[in-house]
Amino acid sequence: MASTNSPTQDRVTETTEAGGLWSDVWQRFKRNPIALTGFYVVCVFAFMALFADFIANDKPYYTEYKGKSYFPIFRSYIVGVKLGQWPAELLNVQFKKLEGAESIFPPIPYRPSNINLLEPLEPPSGRHWFGTDKLGRDVMAGMVHGSRVSLSIGFVAVGIAVMIGVVLGAIAGYFGSWTDLVISRLFEVMLSIPTFFLLITIAALLPPSIFLTMLIIGATSWVGIARFTRNEFLRIRNLDYVTSAIALGGTDRKVMFKHILPNALAPVIVSVVLGIAGAILVESSLSFLGIGVPAELVTWGSILHEASTTTYAWWLAVFPGFAIFITVLAYYLVGEGLREVLDPRLRGLR
Amino acid sequence: MFAKSWRLIFPLLLTVACGDKTELKVADVKPALSKEEAGKPVTGDWLVLHSLSDPEQLNPLTSNDASSSEVLGFILETLLTRDPRTLVLKPLIAEARPEIAADKLTYTFKLRRDARFHDGRPITGEDVLFSVKAIKCPFVNAPFLRVYFNSLVDAQLIDPYTIRFVTKETYFLNESVLGGIVVLPRHYYDPDNLLEKVGVRDLVRDPATLPSQVKKFGDQFNKNYSRNPMGSGPYKFNLWKTGREIELQRDPEYWGNGKADIDQPQLDRLKFRVVNNFDAALVRLKSGSLDFMEALQPVQVVRGTDSERFKREFKKYEYYAPTYSYIGWNNDHPIFRDKRVRQAMTYLTNREQIVKSVLFGLGEVVNSHIYLFRPEYDKSLPSYPFDPAKGMALLAEAGWKDLDGDGVLDKVIDGKKIPFRFEIKINSGNAVRKSVALVLLDELRKHGIDASVRELDWTIFLNDVKNHQFDAMVLGWQMSTTEPDAYQVWHSSQASNKGSNAISYKNARVDEILELYRREFDPQKRIKLYNEFQKIISDEQPYTFLYLPKRVSALQRRFEGVEIFPDGLRPVDWWVPARSQKFASTITAQ
Amino acid sequence: MSGYFFQRLLLMIPTFIGITLIVFLIVRLAPGDPAELRAAGGLGAAASGGISTEKRGAVDEAMAQWRAQYGLDKPLHVQYVLWLKNIFTLSFGVSLKDSQPVWGKITERIPVTLKLNFWSLLVVYWVAIPLGIYSATHQNSFTDQATTLFAFVLFAVPLVWAATMALVFICGGDFYYLFPPGGLESLDAAANWSWWHKFTDQAWHLFLPVVLLSYDGFAGLSRYMRSSMLEVLRQDYVQVARAKGLDEGVVVFKHVLRNSLIPQVTLLASILPGMIGGSVIIETIFSIPGLGQLGFESVLSRDYPVVLALLVVTSILTLIGILISDLLLAAVDPRIAFGRRAH
Repeated sequence: MASTNSPTQDRVTETTEAGGLWSDVWQRFKRNPIALTGFYVVCVFAFMALFADFIANDKPYYTEYKGKSYFPIFRSYIVGVKLGQWPAELLNVQFKKLEGAESIFPPIPYRPSNINLLEPLEPPSGRHWFGTDKLGRDVMAGMVHGSRVSLSIGFVAVGIAVMIGVVLGAIAGYFGSWTDLVISRLFEVMLSIPTFFLLITIAALLPPSIFLTMLIIGATSWVGIARFTRNEFLRIRNLDYVTSAIALGGTDRKVMFKHILPNALAPVIVSVVLGIAGAILVESSLSFLGIGVPAELVTWGSILHEASTTTYAWWLAVFPGFAIFITVLAYYLVGEGLREVLDPRLRGLR
Repeated sequence: MFAKSWRLIFPLLLTVACGDKTELKVADVKPALSKEEAGKPVTGDWLVLHSLSDPEQLNPLTSNDASSSEVLGFILETLLTRDPRTLVLKPLIAEARPEIAADKLTYTFKLRRDARFHDGRPITGEDVLFSVKAIKCPFVNAPFLRVYFNSLVDAQLIDPYTIRFVTKETYFLNESVLGGIVVLPRHYYDPDNLLEKVGVRDLVRDPATLPSQVKKFGDQFNKNYSRNPMGSGPYKFNLWKTGREIELQRDPEYWGNGKADIDQPQLDRLKFRVVNNFDAALVRLKSGSLDFMEALQPVQVVRGTDSERFKREFKKYEYYAPTYSYIGWNNDHPIFRDKRVRQAMTYLTNREQIVKSVLFGLGEVVNSHIYLFRPEYDKSLPSYPFDPAKGMALLAEAGWKDLDGDGVLDKVIDGKKIPFRFEIKINSGNAVRKSVALVLLDELRKHGIDASVRELDWTIFLNDVKNHQFDAMVLGWQMSTTEPDAYQVWHSSQASNKGSNAISYKNARVDEILELYRREFDPQKRIKLYNEFQKIISDEQPYTFLYLPKRVSALQRRFEGVEIFPDGLRPVDWWVPARSQKFASTITAQ
Repeated sequence: MSGYFFQRLLLMIPTFIGITLIVFLIVRLAPGDPAELRAAGGLGAAASGGISTEKRGAVDEAMAQWRAQYGLDKPLHVQYVLWLKNIFTLSFGVSLKDSQPVWGKITERIPVTLKLNFWSLLVVYWVAIPLGIYSATHQNSFTDQATTLFAFVLFAVPLVWAATMALVFICGGDFYYLFPPGGLESLDAAANWSWWHKFTDQAWHLFLPVVLLSYDGFAGLSRYMRSSMLEVLRQDYVQVARAKGLDEGVVVFKHVLRNSLIPQVTLLASILPGMIGGSVIIETIFSIPGLGQLGFESVLSRDYPVVLALLVVTSILTLIGILISDLLLAAVDPRIAFGRRAH
């Protein structure tokens, strides 16, 4: 998509057409209040994921200790990238137990890894808004940091799927004939294999890792995107402007990715947005089954998994499940809004 | 139960001294009613047991999982067994304990003449010989069992009721190994008598040279006998609905009926019902479709089974499950090579709180690999309480401190600055071990030790452990309720060749003790040797020993004759008074 | 038409080879060794207790023997060819757990999963189609918008959440006991129960799994039905029929419904693999001994032949489903057949 914003001389017309399309899309998208709500919800979760360290952390924003002021959360970033050191008096201290220190803590003063064996499985209370799990970890802190996992899995997995799907779909649609035939077989193969069972198989056989989970979700969910891309390419390839671009001596690659792709992306965008929701759902199912996600990571699905084995702890089921639900719903709403805006056939249908 | 019998028979008890009853009293729960109140045992009624999953198969030799062992234990019988209270070897199919030749290589068993299989055919030496051949047959898919019988090299029939075994080496456990041979009906498992012509000695040789019917036998045995076991035990196999239930039926013609010193089964049927989720199983138990849950989850013990109504209907039995968990430190690792570091790690592991919170108090912190109730267990071992300050002092003494202010301890080892950073490997599918690792991790991070946890699939995990590919790992061993032999786990020779000494523990004195111990026939001297051994281990902390879990079973109150043995509960003894029987009797007793 | 049919059939061959190759490579190239599992005494040792030391002696040698027994020691390409050869004779080898034929293990569990999915599909179509028709014929009415919104929200409910909430709140935990927490029938269901007793018992057990398996199906399908109805309603011939003064009910049920149902039926092909996936979660949560549970257990215990067979069989079924639905579409719309033949 970035390429659409970098016009080059020989295709100014298409670029403005495409660029115009996107601002037009946004204008019309804005008019749909439900879809817009979905978009805002997505933004809220994205904000939460981005600033998880500032929302739920056992370190304070600011602390005054022995007459000096510190910003421990920022400091931990600095030390993390090896630009600085911890001052000796704050090295590996428990800020909450630091005597004589004045600190301002984030609204949720826990990290998801903070274990407190003295208060396991506590129901929601003033101290722990969403209760604690069996190791006394704060569920809300886990959910705030878990949104990172959900979001990154959603985006990266779909990113991978888009890369595979768009490239394969573009090649199939552009070249047609036997290339299309071969690649279409591949589509058929992927369509036939039961994706979720395949996912479970791979995830269970490989060591748990977030990156691998992203990879396998991406590698098993590109078919829809590929078929959309192929069909769009088939359609656009025969349009006049493409034939003339080829006649003017444009290389295949150039024609494919500079002339056709920007105009073929519209229907793909919808399946990308829906794909993110799908990836989030799949990830939660995998961690629910206890596979795919490493032990240290608290995710929405892993909290749900614990709920299914500790059924009296209702707070472990209600909150993370609701978070998944709301996120997925928000993406669906955005996707639906985009579909209405992008799909000309649907215009006026409602 | 099958597995338990293997474990039971493993060490040999030479004198009663080891079977000290007061030491073996492992739990505080008494049977519901005294014998006089309940009357005399009567037959009838069923016991419906909870089973977490289907057994993989019910082949007497090729199955190798706990569920199948439990079921098969009721159906099959061995030459010798153990007295459930004293754990002393006693005869079962054999008439008496074997006659051991002076060279301690040859063992002669005489068989009972009155024992019979479920189909009424008598048990003869031919069946025992066949059983040995079946174990030794290289085409029978029981390699792990075969390894266990490696020392058995020959077996011959002296007369139809006498069999002589020859072993490879003088080893004091041979009697219990041989006594653990399950006796299988030859006419059932090998109807065409395919193994008749081959001898045990032939079977040990190169499989390629064996006649084709041996291969044929192996294939048939593997394939045709997975779901229809037959033996001579108190219960016979009735039916198996995959994923739902397995039903065993009391054999009214059981040969042991009325005989002293042989189990007297009373319950007409045992039904193992599969519910592969503990919460669902508890709901089923409460609604009356299960009578017995052998292993309640710790959380279920403290919640959900504490109501008055539950207590009226069910009784909970609490006893130790003889397995211990540990954190194994790779003794070859540059960080953990230092004994002080390993000691510090134990001080930093809050074992008491783990037992209290993660296991809901259902367990005991252990400091040794010997079962708490064995006479070999050394009670004077130091306990390494949770003491972070002491742990950190030990680390400081070992030279660990933060040299670069990044919050992680460092030390210069072999001229290189090494940060205190390592990985704990655990296997997936075990929530408790995962909790242990996470608790330790959180504690270590507070003190500037950057540990991480890596969860691996069981098979990959085991492979890594076997190949010493880990910094630290959490794992568990079964403990022997009878005489222990720790050679496999601690001898330095087992550190190479993928032996069980995966942490590469090497100590010359320990090697010496382990070797002496195996040849030592005086139990008192053995205890002394093992006390010294445990003191060395305790000081060196190659493992951080974690806990011995308690098992809590819930049983419907109508059952009588329930007693807790060192090895747990034995449903084979249970019975229900006539007035409280739930299911009508369908078997006519003798 | 028959030319198109044969062309499609021919094209299935490379697809089939592709499926087997991908599935085989994925399953067999993954790290880990089932022999290791056997040597340690199964998954039980992983989940709870410890390993027994007794049979760990000479473990590598024993593992090699075990592998040889199942032909797992042969080079991978040899194993693949052997496996492929077996598939053509409809034999999927024997299970690594108990040496039983894989095919037998699968057929034993098919009825259970079939029962579950049959009822779910029935619910899906029985709810979705009337709902879709109503929404389409009463476009933009309050009910239409409400059902659309409801279907939309329902579609976003994660299955794992719905199932966990059911377990926590209505399956006999600390809250209510409205439905059983698992199984397909009461544990003490007996053969001598009356017909009615058996039926109510099974219905009580099936209710939650069926609802959970079908809700996103009918949420999705009702929307799909609505839009395809709307599309047909806008067609010229419908307008003509209306203009001729035909009764609206006749128009809807005779002309529109028939034509908008075809795509719904062809949708079955794409529902099938999804159902198998959903079965894994539902059958695992509710301990239902069906194919999904078999699949998940086999994956965890690395029972390769069973996993491979399940993957291949469901893939082939789906492949056939796709073929049939394509043929159906081609039969309805001959342009498709010609269009496809073009490439």
